Amino acid sequence: MDNLILHQIRKDYGKVRAVEGVDLTFAHGELTALLGPSGCGKTTLLRMIAGLEDPTAGKIMLGVRDLTPMAAHQRKFGMVFQNFALFPHLNVRENVCYALSIAGMPKAQAHERAGKLLDLVQLSAFADRAIGALSGGQRQRVAIARALAQEPEVFLLDEPMSALDANLREAMQVELRMLQQRLGITTVVVTHDQREAMTMADNIVVMSNGRVEQIGPPQDIYHKPANAFVADFIGRANFFEGVIQGGKIACGDLTLDAGAARFLDGSAVVVAVRPERAVLDNTDAQANKIPAQVTFVRDVGSTRDIHLSTPLGPIIVEYAIGEGARKFTRGDKAQVQLPAQALYVYPAEQRRKSA
Amino acid sequence: MSSIDASAIVQRDVPVKGSRRFPTPTQIVLWTLVLALCVVPFVLVLVISFGEKIEGASWVFGFTGANYQRFFVGASWPETTTFLYLNRLYYSVFYAVIASVLAVMTAFPFTYFMTRMSRAAQSRWLVFLLATLSLSEVFIVMGWDILLSNRSGLPMVLRETGVTDWLKQTGWFDVLREWGMANPRNVKFKTSVFATVLTMSYLVWPYAVILLYPALSRLDQSTVEAARTMGAGPWTVVRTVVLPTVRLPLIGTLFLLFVFLLGIYVSVTVFAEPAKQTLAVSVYESVRGATLNAPFGAAQAVILLVTGGVCLWLGQVLVSRNRAKP
Repeated sequence: MDNLILHQIRKDYGKVRAVEGVDLTFAHGELTALLGPSGCGKTTLLRMIAGLEDPTAGKIMLGVRDLTPMAAHQRKFGMVFQNFALFPHLNVRENVCYALSIAGMPKAQAHERAGKLLDLVQLSAFADRAIGALSGGQRQRVAIARALAQEPEVFLLDEPMSALDANLREAMQVELRMLQQRLGITTVVVTHDQREAMTMADNIVVMSNGRVEQIGPPQDIYHKPANAFVADFIGRANFFEGVIQGGKIACGDLTLDAGAARFLDGSAVVVAVRPERAVLDNTDAQANKIPAQVTFVRDVGSTRDIHLSTPLGPIIVEYAIGEGARKFTRGDKAQVQLPAQALYVYPAEQRRKSA
Repeated sequence: MSSIDASAIVQRDVPVKGSRRFPTPTQIVLWTLVLALCVVPFVLVLVISFGEKIEGASWVFGFTGANYQRFFVGASWPETTTFLYLNRLYYSVFYAVIASVLAVMTAFPFTYFMTRMSRAAQSRWLVFLLATLSLSEVFIVMGWDILLSNRSGLPMVLRETGVTDWLKQTGWFDVLREWGMANPRNVKFKTSVFATVLTMSYLVWPYAVILLYPALSRLDQSTVEAARTMGAGPWTVVRTVVLPTVRLPLIGTLFLLFVFLLGIYVSVTVFAEPAKQTLAVSVYESVRGATLNAPFGAAQAVILLVTGGVCLWLGQVLVSRNRAKP
């Protein structure tokens, strides 16, 4: 089974560089999410994989086959578009049959295959419906069935959930992931929604400014962000700046222990800590304790955010409802502890660049 | 989603018993204007078509079918029968169909690629095309007349560049002669069906582009891309996605151009052979030309109008039948 390989892919639009030097391997049967903010080049990359855009430089390979010179209709990668791009002049069944019909498959056989796919996406009862008579979720399922009809080697989805409302989106993420696992098809999903990427992907590729920032499984991306951009973009993080002194981080009058030193003395660094890793009123811990004052408390259903004013700047601490911390109110004094193993330390210029 | 109180709608639509709504003075004036400007001229033409010609003088109102009889079988039927005017009707429809199809077929790809251009380029093209609409038929035909004239136009260029000799050597010249597009010495475009249809197409081409532009510029490009990712080559995309999506505007454009071309006069008088002239020319000859027979001209005009209506109706039936196919 062949992996999809991108080798030194670059894309320029005139003087603007949309994608720069991307090297990626999409393992066969895995779902990979291309995640990043708007304009980071993720859709351009997906369109190059589909053959809808030509790379300025680099190669796209499927196993040993070089796909770079092949047009989109020769690659035949199934693709689901952001707006689903269903054909308004065809009904549901005809949309699903489209790829099969133009490939010359006999009508009866094509209808049989379409029937199976519509079963798979639970839309058998809607086969004769016009596209205009479907809801957003149903349209998305038709688009998925249509893209899978030609049994593509690679399945591409460009922000497939963005047109759906929040509840439906959550349900469809799970459904799509289960379908992909059942079919075992190499899948690439473009999204700017980190929750969507975390829910569905075996691997996440975080992109920014046309470059790949980090590649890895969702938990690695979240818990071991490779740089300040990833720490900031994936999940939430409190940031503050400091300087390395004697293996520790000097932040004004405070000194923080951040585990094993990876920086030379005098290096300017930026430190990130996830809100759920900071601890309030931990009497056991002695290191990295900072005086703080509560400025705002926000209950958001399953969690509570406690906003603090500290000598390091504003810090947010997140507790699950029912979890330890005492009930805080605005103006309360407290001690916030930032465990050494929870601190991510990066060169300061990284943060400035990504800001 | 907000709900609608159905009873409120029903109540509003049902007139209150005993009260009749009378049209306002503005409505009466508007209806009178519509009737006077749009219906009365047609009624007059219809009435005149049953009138009688007085030899050596004008015509009088009457109720005779002689004008219609003359149109279909000739004035001296049943002694002799002639289909001269039916033949002219045939050429009216023939030229209009061919020229409108040709205009739409060439305008469609042009408009499609135009909608893929930048906004600025699209605006420039549209302004240019709108500007060409200000040229009158007479001016356009004059231009084509010069371009296709045997002594100074395209035939002369073909002769001077040696293309005519090449055509003679390869045998294509004889084919052109059979098609009526060459005399014994050189290629000729005047008079020919080719030149007539070409000029008529040229006349309506900007209309075709402007009528097709809104539909093609609204075409969702992602449907085209989706088709490509499913294995459709460029022509298959056009055939299976683009054309069906814009089918209605396309047919509408075709009908509109067809109706417009049924009444074309100057191009036909300049480029068509006398034996292949159209009913529009014949109507003019009867009403204003040498024969001065307004009732017969009116009868021809009525038949031309009815033919146009029947063609549109047939087209509509065909479209509906195709749409109803599973």
